Amino acid sequence: MKVGFFVGCNTAFNRPDLERAVRYVYPALGVELDELDGQSCCPTWGTMPSIDLAGWCAVGARNYTIAEEKGLDMVTVCGSCYGSLAETAHKIKSDPGVKSRVNELLGVIGKEFKGTSRIRHAVYHLYQEVGLDTLKEFIKYQLGGLKIAVQPGCHSLWPSDAYVDGEEDTFHPTVLRELCEALGASAPYYSRLLDCCGMGGMRSTDMDKSFKLVETKLSSMKEEVEPDLIVTGCSSCLIQLDTAQDFLKKDGKINYEIPAIHYVQLLAICMGADPQQVTGLARTKVDRVVNRILEG
Amino acid sequence: MSSTPEEERKTINLSTGDSGFLSEIKALGAGDILECIQCAKCAATCPLVLAGFNFFNKRIIQAIFLGTRETLLDDPSIWACQSCNRCTEVCPRKLKPFEVIMAMRRVAVREFALPTMAIEGIKSLYDVGHAVYLSQAGRSRASVGLPERPYSTASNPRALKELQALLGKTALADLGIIPMGGPDVSGTCEVGQ
Repeated sequence: MKVGFFVGCNTAFNRPDLERAVRYVYPALGVELDELDGQSCCPTWGTMPSIDLAGWCAVGARNYTIAEEKGLDMVTVCGSCYGSLAETAHKIKSDPGVKSRVNELLGVIGKEFKGTSRIRHAVYHLYQEVGLDTLKEFIKYQLGGLKIAVQPGCHSLWPSDAYVDGEEDTFHPTVLRELCEALGASAPYYSRLLDCCGMGGMRSTDMDKSFKLVETKLSSMKEEVEPDLIVTGCSSCLIQLDTAQDFLKKDGKINYEIPAIHYVQLLAICMGADPQQVTGLARTKVDRVVNRILEG
Repeated sequence: MSSTPEEERKTINLSTGDSGFLSEIKALGAGDILECIQCAKCAATCPLVLAGFNFFNKRIIQAIFLGTRETLLDDPSIWACQSCNRCTEVCPRKLKPFEVIMAMRRVAVREFALPTMAIEGIKSLYDVGHAVYLSQAGRSRASVGLPERPYSTASNPRALKELQALLGKTALADLGIIPMGGPDVSGTCEVGQ
């Protein structure tokens, strides 16, 4: 199997340790990664989508054409990239007006959107194309009952009609929990599991309100699950859950810290990657829980 | 009965409603807005409501129906939308409330009523091909064994030129929000959108 790696912005520049984890996990599972050389930002909501609908879709479509020329699907670990690129393709395919304007714009650079490649979310791609049983075969370190609070992320769930992969019931997602359980962890339900983390446009607009959302979410995790680890499916959720706790502690809003990592980082550790390379840029203290995993 | 200044500020004079507002919103991506019956199912799922913003899907649509353009332009709520699409998923009238918020942002952009962070993200998208770009990221990338720049427009000048040519044909070029001359990769832009 070969896929194009759509790296995006936050993974490449904020959390390259997550990029490193992708580059460890996929080849180790026998999935070759293509660089999709020349890819750009997806782009997400605060930029082109807020200016020009067809212009947004054209920038997204340019990324698709790179994958189409190679006959590959794209995989991303970022919910925002997944959401933007999935919606781009969905809009082009369902609206002839958008499609003709997009191809008119792409004509300027000698390209055309054909619709033959898809954007896949790493969490769902691993679940569908690799599968829980195969994943288990590649695990060197079991999680031995480690307790995880999962954060799937909004953009892997809605709008469900734009996505290739998904959940049976998007308001009761199970895939990320099942993937954690496959590594030997427990990943119980908690009442705020579905809540938004507060990253994105909200954090840029009003940090206090954004932190209020993440605080509510963290409290629910803490009180109902008492987790050893938070595992996200999205790089934006990762940044919020990893960085906001320090602010909340300094403000006296919380008196604990729960280490937070992306599922692909967790998988990389379980498969034997160097923890420093695949989680080394975390602000929360992941060392102790990583050592616990490595010591069995 | 006389009202306090606080109460006066909350009064909306419907006779001054902007009748062209609705058609502008429809043309900018919210063609199905009139399907809205104000049932508030969207509001019940909205993170903006949970976080306590003044405006959110249902109220934004209501304000558009009332033609109170300035009220929405003066309020930051539309820019705090998480684009999560919970509203679009649950809307019983299938009108895609999220698309209304994006159409409202497009109206705001045409009046230059957009946040500085958005302008910085747009500039960074044009200059480097990434809305979020940290010029010092090369060091942290190297620390985890990666090349200083990813295999993107950030390290491929031909691809960046291509992207810039494309952006030059979109509404971005007509609006003049950012200088669209040559590449400038020296800056840093950290936005979360």
